[in-house]
Amino acid sequence: MAGLALNGASLAEKLLARGPTSYAPWLDRRPHLDLIEQRALPELRAEAWRHTNIARWYETVLAGTERATRSRRVEFPGEVEVVDFADPRAAELLVLRGEEIFRLDAQPIAALNGMLLGSGVAIRVPAGTVPSPVRIVDLPAAYQRILVIVEPDARVELIEEPSSYTHRLVEAVVQPGGRLLHRRLQAASPDRECSLVAVRVQANAHYELSQLSLGGDLRRNDIVATLAGNAANVTLRGAWRLVESQHLDNQVAVHHDAPGGTSRQTFRGVADGRSRAVLNGRIEIAPGAQQSDATLNTKNLLASDTAEVYAKPELEIYANDVKCSHGATIGAIDEDAVHYFRTRGIDAPTARSLFVRGFLREAIDDVETARRLGVIQ
Amino acid sequence: MSERSNELTDLVGEEHAATGHDYAAGFVTEIDTDTLPPGLDEDVVRAISAKKAEPAWMTEWRLDAFRRWQEMPTPRWAHVQFPDIDFQGISYFSAPKGDAPKSLDEVDPELLRTYEKLGIPLHERARLAGVEAEDEEAPQVAVDAVFDSVSVATTFKERLAEAGVVFCSMSEAIQEHPELVRKYLGSVVPKPDNFYAALNSAVFSDGSFVYVPKNTRCPMELSTYFRINAENTGQFERTLIIADEGAYVSYLEGCTAPMRDDNQLHAAVVELVALEDAEIKYSTVQNWYPGDAEGNGGIYNFVTKRGTCLGDRSKISWTQVETGSAITWKYPSVMLRGADSVGEFYSVALTRNFQQADTGTKMTHIGPRTKSTIVSKGISAGRSQNSYRGRVRMNPGAKGARNYTQCDSLLIGDTCGAHTFPYIESKLSTAVVEHEATTSKVSDEQLFLCQQRGIDPEKAVAMIVNGFCRDVFRTLPMEFAVEAAKLLEVSLEGAVG
Amino acid sequence: MSLLRVEELHVEVDGKPILAGIDLEVDAGEVHAVMGPNGSGKSTFANVLAGRPGYDVVRGSMRVDGEDVTELAPEERSLRGLFLAFQYPIEIPGVSNMEFLKAAVDAHALGRGEDPPSAIDFVRHAREAASRLELNPDFLKRGVNDGFSGGEKKRNEILQMLILEPRLAVLDETDSGLDIDALQVVANGINAFRGDGNAVVLVTHYQRLLNYVVPDHVHVLADGRIVHSGDRSLALELEERGYGWLGA
Repeated sequence: MAGLALNGASLAEKLLARGPTSYAPWLDRRPHLDLIEQRALPELRAEAWRHTNIARWYETVLAGTERATRSRRVEFPGEVEVVDFADPRAAELLVLRGEEIFRLDAQPIAALNGMLLGSGVAIRVPAGTVPSPVRIVDLPAAYQRILVIVEPDARVELIEEPSSYTHRLVEAVVQPGGRLLHRRLQAASPDRECSLVAVRVQANAHYELSQLSLGGDLRRNDIVATLAGNAANVTLRGAWRLVESQHLDNQVAVHHDAPGGTSRQTFRGVADGRSRAVLNGRIEIAPGAQQSDATLNTKNLLASDTAEVYAKPELEIYANDVKCSHGATIGAIDEDAVHYFRTRGIDAPTARSLFVRGFLREAIDDVETARRLGVIQ
Repeated sequence: MSERSNELTDLVGEEHAATGHDYAAGFVTEIDTDTLPPGLDEDVVRAISAKKAEPAWMTEWRLDAFRRWQEMPTPRWAHVQFPDIDFQGISYFSAPKGDAPKSLDEVDPELLRTYEKLGIPLHERARLAGVEAEDEEAPQVAVDAVFDSVSVATTFKERLAEAGVVFCSMSEAIQEHPELVRKYLGSVVPKPDNFYAALNSAVFSDGSFVYVPKNTRCPMELSTYFRINAENTGQFERTLIIADEGAYVSYLEGCTAPMRDDNQLHAAVVELVALEDAEIKYSTVQNWYPGDAEGNGGIYNFVTKRGTCLGDRSKISWTQVETGSAITWKYPSVMLRGADSVGEFYSVALTRNFQQADTGTKMTHIGPRTKSTIVSKGISAGRSQNSYRGRVRMNPGAKGARNYTQCDSLLIGDTCGAHTFPYIESKLSTAVVEHEATTSKVSDEQLFLCQQRGIDPEKAVAMIVNGFCRDVFRTLPMEFAVEAAKLLEVSLEGAVG
Repeated sequence: MSLLRVEELHVEVDGKPILAGIDLEVDAGEVHAVMGPNGSGKSTFANVLAGRPGYDVVRGSMRVDGEDVTELAPEERSLRGLFLAFQYPIEIPGVSNMEFLKAAVDAHALGRGEDPPSAIDFVRHAREAASRLELNPDFLKRGVNDGFSGGEKKRNEILQMLILEPRLAVLDETDSGLDIDALQVVANGINAFRGDGNAVVLVTHYQRLLNYVVPDHVHVLADGRIVHSGDRSLALELEERGYGWLGA
């Protein structure tokens, strides 16, 4: 788009003139519209958008890329309840979800999801069940919402297959004693995509994220996990490989709001070509969340001198009886290791590729899928 | 929270804390002053410049900074909270009455007594407090004493002059060394760098100036001691240190202020320039009045400190021990331009009561094979908030550059906060950046071990905290290390009442 | 008057009763061994003597030289000559052994109303004690237990005992995790310490340390009580027959 870069205020003005979508009419869009009217959409140099030019995504929002031809494809076993967001039953599930899973004012672009929502599913995994995986293959519209309720002591795996969108919101609550293994697969994409994963983990429940990403023209993932109940457990793993001028921005926040929680975050990324990789990983321990144990570890390989990596691991701690640490590194492929491989008869390109694979594997729990997706070779 | 942790909180808890007896520097000196009325406009900027009989270029420089400052919004991004500052309610100039003393003999005896009380000798016989007089091997320290807005004395000037070292007040430097001042002033921290730097550029009243000529090792430690005395007065000093090719200088900075119920603003700018093969070591023990137990009063310490390693193989090393100020907001930084240049930042920041600190560093790697090391130790107690904020940036030319960062936080009690906000940015594959951060507390087990061996809990906490800070203290010159450890102990001990 | 007199001692940890009425008298010049299976309350007994927080005395008393120390802070007990060698010595990074020991020695001197020893005298004394335990002098410069091997940590406890010269030394499983050579060094240290003016309580699971440090009395602890007392032969019998025959 030529001319002035689109900022939050001017986008809001144009969208409000068009009005919200009519999908899922039961959905209360007031908070979303209020936020947009209050001009709360991020402006171009907002701290949370330091390394991603949000104006480029706003252009996509404004252009409005509805994909009416696609259909809803969700695979799920019988014991799991899955309803379309347009179905009034989804409204009931939204109530079952309980308290808000994330703060809209802290994630203002999710207001666009509310205003422009075009497709979505609500998923309920009944208490005590251990069904086979639920697979989100594709959803039809540009603005999508997935709501997951894992009831007490239920265990399930949710897989997001590669598919495209302008904004996708995934909300999940893992109720006491429940477990959710969440796999996100992100293929290389020419599109500009933003997503928000917001999870609330209740007492003795586990949430595990395994995210494998190839880059996009602009890809931004916000992940907010809250340990809301005692002795909750969160494991986040992310691995990515970027080439050419791809862009990936991961903004991760783990909130320890209750005592005795454990969180583990491991990220590994490789940036090649003229790509840009961003990881902002934040750990926040609320007052009273004693005996919290939180770590974050991110390692990055810069495979070319024209790629860029930005890492910002943050700790914000308001309780004293805690164990918290983070580590971040940015570096090159270890040429000593490559040399060692070569002395054993392995040629240099193969050696480098082996090295990269080994490096990324620290954040990958399913090598087969990672290979299929092309994150590792 | 365990009963044990409660006890620990009591040890350093606000109920016993800082009622005054533990801030020994909190007295006021009664002295006639020449003070500008509160308020800031172009006339005030001109008046400051006129009081110092500055050349026209300097007045224009200030006015330019003032105009830029007026355009700038107040920054709010740091993890600190304070009410809006009324910049029209501050007096921008306050100096002891009378002509500037020509020699130490002319300095007002009341001022000499003030510095004596603070342990800072303004005569050339003695050494810094704490160094025994009979110890002939103890290094001598030259002192520049800045009282409110002006430098009141600089010691050992003649001996330094023999070595070719210039050590004088900034006012004097503008008169006597205009070519150096014009070349380097604002070259490291440009006027519009940030809100407080712009303000400082407009109204700075004095500060220290150091020039160490080529291939000269400065024969003694240089030191500036900053003292805020007057009420409702801001201190805006400006320090410029230039180490020419192959030169070495170690510079120490200390600061205190009386206890007052109002907050006072201290917005200094320090610029360091290291040319080829030069080395500058800059150490600070910051003990501005931190405010009382309820969070009233104290200094707002909003300081811009930056050095540039201009020449190849040059080195700039910052060490800071921050125990004072209601709010500390500073990031002593290094621009690593020369090939193989080295930047270091070692920091201890202790906060208690309602103190807030947001401090750290920026290491910007521009030249090839540049190296930087960051070691930060934050200790939070009471209801304080203590943040490390840092940025390490590897620019495209910094081939083979390396950074290592270690940030540790120690929490005492469960009503304080410890935070880490590192920005790590790299644009080239051959650079290596490593960052590690940990958070811990003084453990009940450590305390019990000390107690079992007969050491009371107060001493035990001081000892454990000292151990936690060891990696930083060992980078300080000996006399300062002793002072820093004592200061830390007093800050923790005083809290026990 | 006994050096240590424990009467009817009942102790709870987190509201759970661990010691259910211990009576013990130790006189100057004696070595007592307190033995018992895991979970019998041995370590609790050692820790409660030293006043470890979290160990609540609900009934009974402990006296040192006739003075009731039950309510005293850990450092006050220490100044009265009570020393605990920890089963799991704590690490204090950054604080050197020397610095730590000097702080302790100074506190004890001041407690006796004496001037603290000069740095030179102290260093000489500390080095002597270290060499007696076959510890390299560099050992004193390292952080307290920081990165020490298990054996070094235990030797460090004995080193502190030799330097502080307590009236009563309570050694909590000091023999565990030591190889035979280290065990002998530690035992030599304890034997060098033994004298008419002091006493030692060895808390241990096995009797192998007792081959080197011969006890005057042996007590068996089970379910928070002393169920059996005897002389050295009791320890040997325990080695042969285990704890089962005592109904423990």
